[in-house]
Amino acid sequence: MSNLGWGLQMTVLGMGLVFGVLALLWGLLRLVLRLEKHGARRADAAASSPAPEAAAEPGEAMDPDLVAAIAAAVVAHRAVRRREAAPAMRTFWPGSLIHASRWLGSGRMRQTRGFQRRGR
Amino acid sequence: MANDSASDQLATLREMRSRAVLGGGQKRIEQQHARGKLTARERLALLLDVGSFQEFGALATHNVSEFGLDKQRTPGDGIVTGFGKISGRRVAVFAQDFTVLGGSFSQVQSNKICRIQDLALQSGIPLIGLNDSGGARIQEGVRSLAAYGEVFVRNVMASGVIPQISVIMGPCAGGAVYSPALTDFVIMSEGSFMFLTGPDVIKAVTGEDVTAQSLGGAEVHTAQSGVAHLAAPTEADAIETVKRLLAYLPQNNNEDPPQVVPYDAPDRMDEALNTLIPVAENEPYDIRDAIAMIFDRGSFMELHEAFAPNAVVGFARLDGFSIGVIANQPAYMAGALNIDASDKISRFIRTCDAYNIPLVTFVDCPGFLPGTSQEYGGVIRHGAKIIYAYCESSVPKISIVTRKAMGGAYVAMCSKQMRTDLAFAWPTAQIAVMGAEPAVRVLYREDVKNAEDPLARERELIAYYREQFFNPYRAADVGQIDEVIEPVETRPRLIRALEVLRTKVQENPPKKHGLIPT
Repeated sequence: MSNLGWGLQMTVLGMGLVFGVLALLWGLLRLVLRLEKHGARRADAAASSPAPEAAAEPGEAMDPDLVAAIAAAVVAHRAVRRREAAPAMRTFWPGSLIHASRWLGSGRMRQTRGFQRRGR
Repeated sequence: MANDSASDQLATLREMRSRAVLGGGQKRIEQQHARGKLTARERLALLLDVGSFQEFGALATHNVSEFGLDKQRTPGDGIVTGFGKISGRRVAVFAQDFTVLGGSFSQVQSNKICRIQDLALQSGIPLIGLNDSGGARIQEGVRSLAAYGEVFVRNVMASGVIPQISVIMGPCAGGAVYSPALTDFVIMSEGSFMFLTGPDVIKAVTGEDVTAQSLGGAEVHTAQSGVAHLAAPTEADAIETVKRLLAYLPQNNNEDPPQVVPYDAPDRMDEALNTLIPVAENEPYDIRDAIAMIFDRGSFMELHEAFAPNAVVGFARLDGFSIGVIANQPAYMAGALNIDASDKISRFIRTCDAYNIPLVTFVDCPGFLPGTSQEYGGVIRHGAKIIYAYCESSVPKISIVTRKAMGGAYVAMCSKQMRTDLAFAWPTAQIAVMGAEPAVRVLYREDVKNAEDPLARERELIAYYREQFFNPYRAADVGQIDEVIEPVETRPRLIRALEVLRTKVQENPPKKHGLIPT
């Protein structure tokens, strides 16, 4: 009988502890959520205030000819980079076997088996 | 005290490095600029990615004291060597410095070049040399000549293993010419020249009056001798050409060239291809138009453009992959093969084979050029080089007969028997042993002679012969052509075929080396 009482006590204590921790976490989450909402409201308020004149759309202030010239220069630059196989234009890092199959790797080894480095 | 000593040592090192950077001195640098030329370091700065250069041997000097050389010791001894990167790819470089004793080739120069050649070969990275030298350093005597030999042997050992590119940016005379000639590609900038014996010697020996430029300028070597693959109007353009060329090449013979992100639709079909071949069979067309329409837009880089223009060779891209393109050029000499074209094509096949670059061949060739000059010049052995190179190569090979494929030229130009993987033909293809008129004269001489109206009979027989042989279907019937395709579908066909063939492995019998006809 005493064992039953001790068991009930332990059950109540354990469950109480678990529920207590859960309640604490719930409270913390509520607090974080509230703080976040508060921050978002402040950001919205700042965004809705009139923007200074200097923050006008960059494109609006630029001469269309200048925009066209920049666009042409970008295209030309990309073409040059492509011709040079620049890193941004490559699909694989130099030195890699593009189709690195064992078939090809071992095949190339066999093809060049007669080769011996003779550098001094 | 210790700190003072350390700072003195650092000051000494910095002073020596400053001297090395100045090369032959500010006055010589200004003279070099006045000639419209850059210094070795300025050239390397243009060639290599910013901040990527690591120099070796900057403080090396010669130990010769004869002829007053003991008073002319400059750190680096007229050459800058090291590692760097081009578009992020590791390369080994050397640049001769004309401001130091005219860039004359010394034992120290040789030691520095050999060191960088050995390191490049061991690391499996391309080697690029910027040549600007007045020749061997006479004061060093035979040592300077032996020094050339040390470089040559390394050029040969590295040949076909790592890409070697030579850029001639000034004088390159005497024995010095052999090192660039042993490399894979030679690019000459305007004003540079290469020759074995100079104008003065020629004048003394043969009495010919010739200038350095007319003897060995960029125009001579790109159009007549074929020694140089490419020419550039300025040094900056020459360096840009190196970067562009390198983009088609792998780091070494075990790797693949870089694939650029595909930017042209693989299924793009240019309708103009279907009408590219003129109706009149003897009317010329420019095969470059077909190349431009089939390969990735703007990707074709032609080599040896002015040398043997009856053939076209160069690199292009298909779906971003590097491809070697070979073609007869019907717009020049009807695309007939001659000695120079044979050399040009066979050399290019072997270059692509060495560096794992698939080959695509466009055939429109009426045959080998007839004539005594060709026969006396050895067109047989030169033409045999094409056959040898195609048969020996093990990279993926695809041929497309666009129009004429006659006789021996048909066999030589990547026919099925040349270990070609796929042979396509356009409906305009004419595959035959010889042209209709000569064939009828051989086959039906008696028939024509005995006819009531020989001319009408001959015309009738010619028409019959043409109907029988001047199409691709007879060849497709006997399996010499794998597929007759519409010109418009060439691009997607090639891309799909090469996708399959990309892992092709073909082995040759073990041997020391073959005996290519030379």
